[in-house]
Amino acid sequence: MMDKAYQNIKEAEEMLLNVGTLLMSCGASTGRVRTTVNRIADALGYNIELLITNRSLMLKVIDEQSDHFIASLKRTSPHGVNFRVVSGISRMSWKVVEENWTVPQINAEIERLIALPHYPRLIILSSVSLAGSAFCALFGGKGVELVVAFVATFFGLFVRQEALKKQFNPYLAIFFASFAASILSGLSVRLGIGSSPELAFATSVLFLVPGVPLINSFTDMIDGNILNGIVRGVHGLIIAFAIALGLLCAKFIFNI
Amino acid sequence: MDYLALMEKGFWAGFAALGFAILFNVPQRTLMIIWLMGAIGGLVKFFLLGWEVNIALASLAGASAIGIMSVYAAHNKQSPPLVFSIPSVIPMVPGAFAYRMMLGFMTLASTPTNTPAYMNTMAETAGNGLKAMFILVALSGGVAIPMLITRKDTFKRIKPHIDQE
Repeated sequence: MMDKAYQNIKEAEEMLLNVGTLLMSCGASTGRVRTTVNRIADALGYNIELLITNRSLMLKVIDEQSDHFIASLKRTSPHGVNFRVVSGISRMSWKVVEENWTVPQINAEIERLIALPHYPRLIILSSVSLAGSAFCALFGGKGVELVVAFVATFFGLFVRQEALKKQFNPYLAIFFASFAASILSGLSVRLGIGSSPELAFATSVLFLVPGVPLINSFTDMIDGNILNGIVRGVHGLIIAFAIALGLLCAKFIFNI
Repeated sequence: MDYLALMEKGFWAGFAALGFAILFNVPQRTLMIIWLMGAIGGLVKFFLLGWEVNIALASLAGASAIGIMSVYAAHNKQSPPLVFSIPSVIPMVPGAFAYRMMLGFMTLASTPTNTPAYMNTMAETAGNGLKAMFILVALSGGVAIPMLITRKDTFKRIKPHIDQE
């Protein structure tokens, strides 16, 4: 009897830790991780305590009926932003409440969400490159400069994806991408293509902007999770520094 | 004001938002809304800039518009608001100011100190850096505050509240 209760809490805890770490690594803010895990635990009838840091999650599950509790720790894997999973888990947490899902049901849904496909690589590359030329247009670029920004962004993102595949340090991958993109757009400045090629040079690295870390950093800080906010902010700053370093290298090479 | 040019900026801002949405792998049902929100945010910002409003304030207004829309979109499309708001505000990032600041630092490193040229570059660099910083704070604040205001209850129950009023 006691073993059965223990087994149940153990399963629930593993599932909750899974949900929490998955949300954290896919780019949800600390407040959202806490709300979602609490909501699922409530629906299953457990009391929980959570400690959320950027790279790991600590959870204590208390079963009110049997007075058992378990505490354990799980490391957050560095996945990269994936809003499809964040959105899916958030929808799931409501179904858990409304339709009284069980732990195996939730586990199956998590498996399904992880297996959901990304957009095809060519679509990602070309739409992000389109965003690159959109940036160039927003800053006042025209005609040829848009094309330069498109090509440079395409190449930069391709280099970043390849570097991540080869498991380079993520900041180093951003440096490579920024360098690759600015080498191409710097070449257009050197050759004097278009009326204001500097615009393409400045905007070709904007696809690397650390938008998610910086916005989540602010959200966390005014939400009271100051430590997590600082960690995310510093992460964003290192990315910005890596982008700048790539730009500077290209600038020195072409002596612009 | 040149409304055609304004519309064109909004159009491009939408595409910049869409590119990031796909990079962040948002669900397919939210793509149209993100394009629209990016475009509206860009329109608000560039409209205010046309009236010579300070760029940080204009960004704050654009980002708040996106923040408020994201709460309603979250209710309608059943995705958390950050799925909509983060890709949509990215077209407003102060990339040009940050770039000029970095450029300024580089020039400073290779200019002899205490010359008028050094002082000029220093002033420009500080100005660009401060602008970039304030715009960033305005963007993240504009997005985060509407979310936090409405989070007293959850987004799912936001509709009944409005109906009661």
